[in-house]
Amino acid sequence: MITRCLQRLARVVVASVGLVALLAPGAMAQSLLVPMDDAQRNHLKAYGLAFQAIKSTQRAEWLLNYRGGAFLLPDAADLRRRAALDGVTVEPIADRDVVRIRSEIAGGNMDAVVLERAPRVAIYRPKDQPPWDDAVTLALTYAGIDFESIWDDEILNGDLSKYDWVHLHHEDFTGQFNKLYLAYRDAPWFIAQRQRDEATAARFKLPHVPALKKSVADGIRTFVEKGGFLFAMCGATESLDLAMAAFTVDITGPFSDGTPVDSDADARLDWPRSFAFRNARIEPSPYVNALSDIDGHQVNVPARRQPLGSFSLFDFSAKLDPVAAMLVQNHRTNIPDFFGVTTSFNKGVLKPGVTVLASEEGAPWVKYIHGDFGQGSWTFLGGHDPEDPQHAIGSAPTDLSMHPNSPAYRLILNNVLFPAAKKKPRKT
Amino acid sequence: MAAAVIGACVVVPLQAAAAQDPVSEAIAHEDARRFGQAATAYRALLTRALSGGDDGDQIALALLGLERVWHELALRDSIVPVVDEVLLRRPADPVARSIQFRALSTASREAELRAAFVSWRRAAPDDASPWREYVRTLMSMGRTLLADSVLADAARVLTGKNALAGEVAQIAATLDRWNDAALAWRAAIEDMPWMEMAATFSLQRAPETARDSVRTALSAAPIALVPRRVLAALETGWGDPRRGWAALAEARTDDSSTVAWKEFAERAEAMNSWSVARDVWSALYERSPDPAFAERAAEASLAAGDAEGALRYAERAARGRSPASRATSLLRLEVRALGELGRAEEAAKRVASLDQYLDNAQRAELARPLVGAWLRSGNVERAREVASRAGDLDDDEVIGWLALYDGDLTEARKRLVRATTRDASLTDALAVLARTKIPAHTGLGAAFLALARRDSANAVVRFAGLADSLPDAAPALLATAARVSTALGTTTDAVRYWTRIVSQHANAPEVPEALLELARAAVRASDTATATARYETLLIDHPGSAMVPQARRELERLRGRVPEEYQ
Repeated sequence: MITRCLQRLARVVVASVGLVALLAPGAMAQSLLVPMDDAQRNHLKAYGLAFQAIKSTQRAEWLLNYRGGAFLLPDAADLRRRAALDGVTVEPIADRDVVRIRSEIAGGNMDAVVLERAPRVAIYRPKDQPPWDDAVTLALTYAGIDFESIWDDEILNGDLSKYDWVHLHHEDFTGQFNKLYLAYRDAPWFIAQRQRDEATAARFKLPHVPALKKSVADGIRTFVEKGGFLFAMCGATESLDLAMAAFTVDITGPFSDGTPVDSDADARLDWPRSFAFRNARIEPSPYVNALSDIDGHQVNVPARRQPLGSFSLFDFSAKLDPVAAMLVQNHRTNIPDFFGVTTSFNKGVLKPGVTVLASEEGAPWVKYIHGDFGQGSWTFLGGHDPEDPQHAIGSAPTDLSMHPNSPAYRLILNNVLFPAAKKKPRKT
Repeated sequence: MAAAVIGACVVVPLQAAAAQDPVSEAIAHEDARRFGQAATAYRALLTRALSGGDDGDQIALALLGLERVWHELALRDSIVPVVDEVLLRRPADPVARSIQFRALSTASREAELRAAFVSWRRAAPDDASPWREYVRTLMSMGRTLLADSVLADAARVLTGKNALAGEVAQIAATLDRWNDAALAWRAAIEDMPWMEMAATFSLQRAPETARDSVRTALSAAPIALVPRRVLAALETGWGDPRRGWAALAEARTDDSSTVAWKEFAERAEAMNSWSVARDVWSALYERSPDPAFAERAAEASLAAGDAEGALRYAERAARGRSPASRATSLLRLEVRALGELGRAEEAAKRVASLDQYLDNAQRAELARPLVGAWLRSGNVERAREVASRAGDLDDDEVIGWLALYDGDLTEARKRLVRATTRDASLTDALAVLARTKIPAHTGLGAAFLALARRDSANAVVRFAGLADSLPDAAPALLATAARVSTALGTTTDAVRYWTRIVSQHANAPEVPEALLELARAAVRASDTATATARYETLLIDHPGSAMVPQARRELERLRGRVPEEYQ
């Protein structure tokens, strides 16, 4: 109790110092409040605006739980200009309004987090892939947030250390091509993908694609262990953890590495190596389009497929658990679910200590999880494209200008921004 | 007690019926979602059918029923041994085989699927069904290349060369072998014309580089209607209805091709391809001199801007018609066409000659095109005379326009604001009138009159010139000049007028439109920097403008942030 009182006192002192700084001669007389509740016309581009504010070394603050997770930015001409161009709602406010807001924040389950350094963002994707097949690429491109594309070569060459934040989408790190060979083995795009990966494996003197992808997964694991931020969606979540746990175990069928699955594969999986899951069972059948029992929905196994519901974001203490609070900032708490190669995560296979950020009420699975690993952290969000819930291969890409207020896309962008927080916040 | 008796009366006959009719019993269980009992009933039905005379219909009914109910019970594999039992007795039974294929493919039991196909083929060596079913199953499994190989085998084995043409075509299209696909579709639709729609959908995806081979395949001799109809639909879908008509025009004369031509003409009309529609109606008339075709050709001609042609076809449409019929169905079209040609005198005579067949409503309806005819011939007095004769019409629009041409801006303002139509010229006129308070200005009237006479170049010069003498309305006048210049294709002039608005009238309401048009002109000139600057100025300086959503979308597109599918 005494500790909490001291923390609050320290916070008031910090806030007062900030206020003095704002009132100092030469300081900006006004700020821009970017509301993120229903007053915001374009939630997704608002993240791009905040990102630009951080990038141009102007301090930005994320007002957790205040007006849907609003941003407080300096009133700079370039920011006003970008807001106008992007159709982002901003409210110029005077210093006295800032004081009032801070007072309101101090009194409730809210907090102000300083964002000070734009994270260097990398997306794991083939460079020649059109940007429309990956929700994160879509979101970042639409919001106007800079990123670089990296692929197996960069990771195996140790280039991950150049980045703060890495995103993975529906890559299968077990090297089984998401078992899509069942339906697409003759499709030209599938053949090209397989040939590309086999060529990369040969270049790095690795015997086959599963070995290549396991090495890549291990590089990603090291990146997080050393302090990197990882965000994964869709099949990358499940397959990454399986690849890490199966580093010395053969869990892939002969179609991918020429040898059958180890008969005692389940028992030999080394779960301490993985981020989120434990005691999952792999799906050994090459004819069942699932990697394991981690996914609750199993969309590609007709006999097991579960219908889509909706998931609810949990409420966290902004002051005591700011990371989780940042990750769930939203103007909606209940969001329609969407399928992916991996749609959800069964509760039974979650490691103790994993923070559940969103789940479906009454269902045996959760949707959105987060945890620390070494000095870094990871976040997994199930599903492929929030605005195309039944997405299938060949479906038209989502045009985000039709969904500028998408609450689920906001979850992706929360992840991009939270590595910009000033210091690594404590967790309860 | 009474209820129990009634109930008993009802139940007993039903039970009796069920006992007599095992099919009804099985279906009743299935409808009631008692799948276990339904399975038992269908199984009994099958046993009875196999033992009692080998009734094919009953066997099919039972097998399909079992497939459905076991699917509901998540026992899909259970159908396989039952089908095997049937196939021992009836190895070429198509229903049993298709169920077997479905079950094996769902369970990904490919080796057994292949064996089943071989077994069926042996049982029916000359039949295309095993090949067709196997290929379709492989395609549904995504095994396109294997299906392709099977089809190659089929071509060697089967004597009926077109038996599997539809499957060949589908696979070729899936594998982007467009020439093969077109040839196979051609062969398929010759024998199976009901596949026309499937062929059109399949070939529609052909990329531009492959379309010539599709055209060659579908238009090759001998000329046949169905392939030509497919090609016409493809060309229209690819954005060139003129080429579509060229494909269809060569089809031989018969009732079917007449129907195809009519449908094509109507489709061209729906696409506003009026000149193509005119040619098709004209060809129909040449083939069969039905006045209805000539009338449609006349209407299409007028819509295509071919007033001379409209009059020619109207003349043909009038042949054999009574004066009364001509007055009610063709006169308005003729007056409009004559008006477009500035032949107002002739239009007036034609109306006068048929006046006895017109009622008041029809006369009123003809007044406006007649006024327009006189205006386009430059005779405002005669136009006014027609309007005054039709005074009981209380046509604010006609009277308002006449007032405007006279330079009576007060009357024009009062009348035109009450006009019921809202075409672009009326909007332009109202925009200009709303921007100046002066009561009269003959120069302004003359500018609008030039526009009405289709003397657009003169009108542009007049509107732009008035910008200096009517400073209040200058931006609106310049905007009108710019819009007319754009319509004339003189985009350099349009850009000059839009630029004047932006540079000399920075606070005018026309500025957002001017910025948007200047940005678009820069995009057309591949001047991305200027286009971006124009869009950005519009978005930043005019955030409340109705042009903002368009500008933001176009700017996103310019920056490559809009998926290609939505370009």
